[in-house]
Amino acid sequence: MDAVSGVSFLDDQSLVRKAQQGDRSAFGELCERHYRLAFQCAWRRVGNRADAEDVAQDALIRMGQGLKNLRDAALFRGWLLRIVINAVTDLQRRRIAERVGVAAFVAEGDTVWFEEDSQDRDAGLWRAVRRLPEKQCEAVLLVYADQMSHREAAEAMGCAEATVSYHVHEARKRLKTLLSEDAQ
Amino acid sequence: MSDPDFDLDRLAKRVVPEPRGEAAMLARRAAMEAFDETSKKSSTATQGTADRPRLIHIATQIWSHMMKTRFLSSTAVATLMLAPIAGIAAWQLMQLRETSPTIVGQTEVKQDASKDALAGNKIATADKKAATPAASPAKPVELAKERVDLLAAGKAKTEADALVRSEGEEQFAPAVDGGAAIVSQDTLTDAPAGVEVRRKQVAEPMLAQGRQTQNEATGLMAPDSVIAPLPMPEPSMVDEVNRDKFPEFKSNSVVAVAEQPVSTFSVDVDTSGYSSLRRALNQGVLPDRESVRIEEMVNYFPYSYAGPERAEDAFKANVTVTPTPWNPNTKLLHIGIKGYDLPVVEQKPANLVFLLDVSGSMDEPDKLPLLKSSFRLLVNKLKPTDTVSIVTYAGDAGIVLEPTKVSEKAKILNAIDTLQPGGSTAGEAGINAAYALAQQAFVKDGVNRIMLATDGDFNVGAASEEDLKKLVEEKRKTGVFLSILGFGQGNYQDVLMQTLAQNGNGIAAYIDTLSEAEKVLVQEATASLFTIAKDVKIQIEFNPARVSEYRLIGYETRHLNNEDFNNDRVDAGDIGSGHTVTAIYEMTPKGAPGQTNDPLRYKTGNEPDTYTTSTGEYAFVKIRYKLPTEATSRLVTQPVTDQNAVADIAQAPEDVRFGIAVSAFGQKLRDEDATANYPVAEIEKLAASAKGTDAFGYRGEFMKLVRLAQGLMPN
Repeated sequence: MDAVSGVSFLDDQSLVRKAQQGDRSAFGELCERHYRLAFQCAWRRVGNRADAEDVAQDALIRMGQGLKNLRDAALFRGWLLRIVINAVTDLQRRRIAERVGVAAFVAEGDTVWFEEDSQDRDAGLWRAVRRLPEKQCEAVLLVYADQMSHREAAEAMGCAEATVSYHVHEARKRLKTLLSEDAQ
Repeated sequence: MSDPDFDLDRLAKRVVPEPRGEAAMLARRAAMEAFDETSKKSSTATQGTADRPRLIHIATQIWSHMMKTRFLSSTAVATLMLAPIAGIAAWQLMQLRETSPTIVGQTEVKQDASKDALAGNKIATADKKAATPAASPAKPVELAKERVDLLAAGKAKTEADALVRSEGEEQFAPAVDGGAAIVSQDTLTDAPAGVEVRRKQVAEPMLAQGRQTQNEATGLMAPDSVIAPLPMPEPSMVDEVNRDKFPEFKSNSVVAVAEQPVSTFSVDVDTSGYSSLRRALNQGVLPDRESVRIEEMVNYFPYSYAGPERAEDAFKANVTVTPTPWNPNTKLLHIGIKGYDLPVVEQKPANLVFLLDVSGSMDEPDKLPLLKSSFRLLVNKLKPTDTVSIVTYAGDAGIVLEPTKVSEKAKILNAIDTLQPGGSTAGEAGINAAYALAQQAFVKDGVNRIMLATDGDFNVGAASEEDLKKLVEEKRKTGVFLSILGFGQGNYQDVLMQTLAQNGNGIAAYIDTLSEAEKVLVQEATASLFTIAKDVKIQIEFNPARVSEYRLIGYETRHLNNEDFNNDRVDAGDIGSGHTVTAIYEMTPKGAPGQTNDPLRYKTGNEPDTYTTSTGEYAFVKIRYKLPTEATSRLVTQPVTDQNAVADIAQAPEDVRFGIAVSAFGQKLRDEDATANYPVAEIEKLAASAKGTDAFGYRGEFMKLVRLAQGLMPN
């Protein structure tokens, strides 16, 4: 059943369709190919390896559960990123819950969110991006950092393509202000 | 496009580490298991639990909701916070403008075993965070639970996720103050005694919009502990019918049991919706139909349901199945929950600071005079050992009364009587003074609360609302809570007030008449001061062999995802001492005419388990709650059988009949299809038959409102 059936030659869309029909190896190949995307997308949002790995794993599990519901296989990448983003949100929520519960007694763990990379000459830009309103920030990250097409970003955000463009446009305006504030 | 100042393409250049092969492998393995399990579930539709074969269907539905939700939610989400899921669910519901929002997803309760395998995987990655070795005996269980949550999340929570987005600032807020490291402890094992439940620091955006329920547990908490944010009933002052922004939402629709056998929601003991509605009707207008909250109407009234005997039980569910007055083909499932009545001797000492707005704008009959009377009532309700202080905020914010024992009642009442309106509002100075007094008279192990009374003209001076919220939140951590009583109309800043009360772990109540003051401050003083259970969630599983369709009446804004039920991290509403909570479902018995959903054509034939015979249970009610000082939830269950059924609504208990009348009225006001042919006069009759002794005249007043509405309604 698990025999390698040459799925590695298929493109993503075909893999998605096969997996949707229950093909395990096609699904495995999808995981193989896209773990990196999921991990890196997560890393850009949580900023540390441990959490990014958690999120990526969580996202892959959700992918296993939900892949059947993806209607347009061509939008797979955007769809996956949405799952990742949702998993990031979940993680953040859990973090809060955990902190509420016990962490009052616990010294700072090994989890640091957004360790600023002081070497990064774009640190200021990143900071500014993170200060954007949520939708704008998400759109910018998807389009520029994750390098999704507007169409894929629209899928990831669950909105129309035009809305993505709008958010990006607004984000640019906002960023200009934010960065000039920083400069002062 | 590219701007010289900043080149967004540089964002892609940030060096992102490569994934570790090992992590990728683990993730892949876990994903494969999830994949296999999902495939298995959708192909072999047996195994008894009714949720099995519907996975695809429900998931598809979720998907379409998700699409819509994501699309519609852009402004709403900005107002959300991370933690209080109930609030989120509420918004979610408001955004879901069509189809059945009540039930999404499925319970996973019985599948722990199958999840353990996955939990194993989780451990592999989790132990880098949790110091406990993966082999530790307790761990797999907890992680399994967590994993169940996660898995469940994958199915249905994605929908909620769509909405659980928050302001960018928050999303990226550095989590510096908390040791996010601990996975265990606060899940389903016993919480260590005295765990300090602390609020996060990154909370401003969250606070700004979060819904926390009144959480008045100080009395029952460890001395220096403070309480986590909880979802608050929706802000529901339908103040100024035309003027206030008020969230609208669609009614729950009829759900086929075959598709979604499980319904989950959070309790709601907020009642301000009824006050607003009353005012509208008294002014001769029908309330905005979309804003009518049926559950708040129903829960406004005191009911004498049987309560639990011991505080440990927290509460008891009373279920009744009765014919539906407005539909011969359906039955109503009435669930009446009664909180444990804290005997007076168990009540903790209270240290109350009245922070009273006496600014010029309060100089109206329904403001300052009403305020004075209200607080006199409250003072009379207090024990001699309680402490009261009074601070006014007006032009000259000042201390009117230093902390005084209620044994010197005359002194307190005199201070209230001498209050004079005048000056502008100086909110900030007033609130600082109030907190100082509260600290001065702080009662360890007691209730320390500021009761802010205002018409909402809350001028916080130079300080921003943000700062104010921060202040309230900080003070809450020291154990001083804040409740807000709104007076007057037209000027009432509901959103700010709600936010402040939520941040202060308090209630925001609207007081329009002295009897309302009596209800809020006196009748319910113990309820709103002493929480006996927190995060109370209700889940009902219907038996498809007996019930083919159901509809939850009200609670649209309190919807929870089914998987949230067993997730102790998901906040829900609180219940105070002696509180009652009522939920009513309309259900269509199997085989009865008048089904609204066609049977599923492609449903694979899976006859349910043996327990599901046509004479068996209608449904199974599960209630999860936490005691105020515990982080671990407890479960109360109650089957609904023919023994709970009555053949005629006249045989139903008085309280049940009255609650049904109120819910019918609410549905009328919402112009729902279900009650379209049920005349208002019948509602009045039903209510009249269930009026009982009505010691405080609440029910009589309700009937008056029904009559008023009758004159205003088109039919």
